[in-house]
Amino acid sequence: MTDAIHIERLHYRVGNAFEIKDLDLHVPAGSIYGFLGPNGSGKTTTIRLVLGLLRPLGGRITVLGSPMPERHAKVLARVGYVPEQPHLDVTLTVRELIDFQAAFYPRWDRGRAEELVERFELDGARLFGRLSKGQKAKLMILLALAQCGDLLVLDEPTDGLDPVVRRDILSALVTYVSERGATIFISSHLVHELERVCDWVAVMDDGRLITESPMEKLKHGTKRLVVSGAPAEIGNPPFRMLSRESSNGAGESWVVGDWEPEMTSYIENLGGSVRDVIDLDLEDGFVELLRSFRKVRQ
Amino acid sequence: MTAMFRAVLYTQWKWSRLIVVLGTLAAFAIPLLSLQGAARADRGAVQAQDLLRSVQSWGSLYPLLATALGLLMAIAAWAPDHRGRHIHALTLPLPRWEYVLLRFGAGFVLLAAPIAAVAIGALLASLTATIPPGLQAYPIALAVRFTFAVFVAYAVFFAVSAGTARTAGIILGVIAAIILVQVVAGIANIDLNVFGAAQTVFVLGPGPLAVFTGRWMLVDV
Repeated sequence: MTDAIHIERLHYRVGNAFEIKDLDLHVPAGSIYGFLGPNGSGKTTTIRLVLGLLRPLGGRITVLGSPMPERHAKVLARVGYVPEQPHLDVTLTVRELIDFQAAFYPRWDRGRAEELVERFELDGARLFGRLSKGQKAKLMILLALAQCGDLLVLDEPTDGLDPVVRRDILSALVTYVSERGATIFISSHLVHELERVCDWVAVMDDGRLITESPMEKLKHGTKRLVVSGAPAEIGNPPFRMLSRESSNGAGESWVVGDWEPEMTSYIENLGGSVRDVIDLDLEDGFVELLRSFRKVRQ
Repeated sequence: MTAMFRAVLYTQWKWSRLIVVLGTLAAFAIPLLSLQGAARADRGAVQAQDLLRSVQSWGSLYPLLATALGLLMAIAAWAPDHRGRHIHALTLPLPRWEYVLLRFGAGFVLLAAPIAAVAIGALLASLTATIPPGLQAYPIALAVRFTFAVFVAYAVFFAVSAGTARTAGIILGVIAAIILVQVVAGIANIDLNVFGAAQTVFVLGPGPLAVFTGRWMLVDV
């Protein structure tokens, strides 16, 4: 499978305060790829680098097979983008914004635009500045979908929206992917939301990639183990040790990644025993990944 | 490209239509008012002098109007992009220089209305007034000069307005540095006239701003 977005050893710095260093990302074509991270972790900066809005200091970015930012005009004709903050002119109406956008995209689908205007119940004569937050988000999604891109890049598109609007938007996205086989790269800190729709996920913190894996692997491979009798030093385990804490005399609580059931024998060979294996949902796994990453960096 | 230009032209019209309409009315009115009641065939040489003085004082409004139109149209061309931090423009699928050219071209197309208004107003004024003997009307020359002035003003302010706050800071910094050098030179009794040199380079012919200087006469000898 080819990558819709391929990033190698990306380096970017803003003053001395923030740095993206040695970032590698591989977004498979046709996937819905969740890009998770706390606020300020570098998600938006990475997206701006991917779209050629910023110039990297080092590394290589390839989007839909073309290098960025060198071929940005060609690439952006096939990319729909929804930024974190509404970026459209507040003095233009919904209809005027649709017409403006249509003029720039050769694959613009007027039928889809009209269908989405109705589905999202948007008033064509209303000024963008007079729309509610949810309506603005819907219009931006409409503009991204109607240009019929092969890649949608969405930067926290549902942040701060009510559940009904969130559901409308996610449903429109899933329909689009199933119809066109497009790739969606969606950043968010709303873990549960991504858990529902994504098939790949990456987690970022402080400008570094913590993990990148298929959603199923991350969800089902992150466990809390209740372990007793294990030695203090356990060498190089076949799983990722995210945290290890003693648990009130009842053994230890380990949070591990990349866990497989047969790995209990590894712990038993060390003289320990696994008394319980508890599934963690994505949010718990996400929190443990962040905690472990920050601990190592300290 | 035509569809893109039409789209950009429409947005720019929406943002600057008040400037264009008021500018066009003013551009049409100035030449008419400058000859209003002033040009009569029975005037002697002394009255012709009065007419020239009147035309000359009205003439100072042309460069002012050209500058105001250039400034306001340039600001209107970039203000929405600045508000959106240029994200929308930068994510459009065309090279950035093409987008800048589209915006510049659309603004200049809209400025054609006040330019045409000066030409029509000047022609109308010179056709309807009776010019005293020895004087000539120059409506076409005035309109051509106004076109150049509008173009230069719009181009300069468009370039400045297109920049970021940092660019504006650099420009202000350079101006402040020039003032500082002049002040220090004055204190140290050094024979240095930076302002004079700048005036020679920019304003006096054939400097880029020379079009704004001198007399703007619809009627002259």
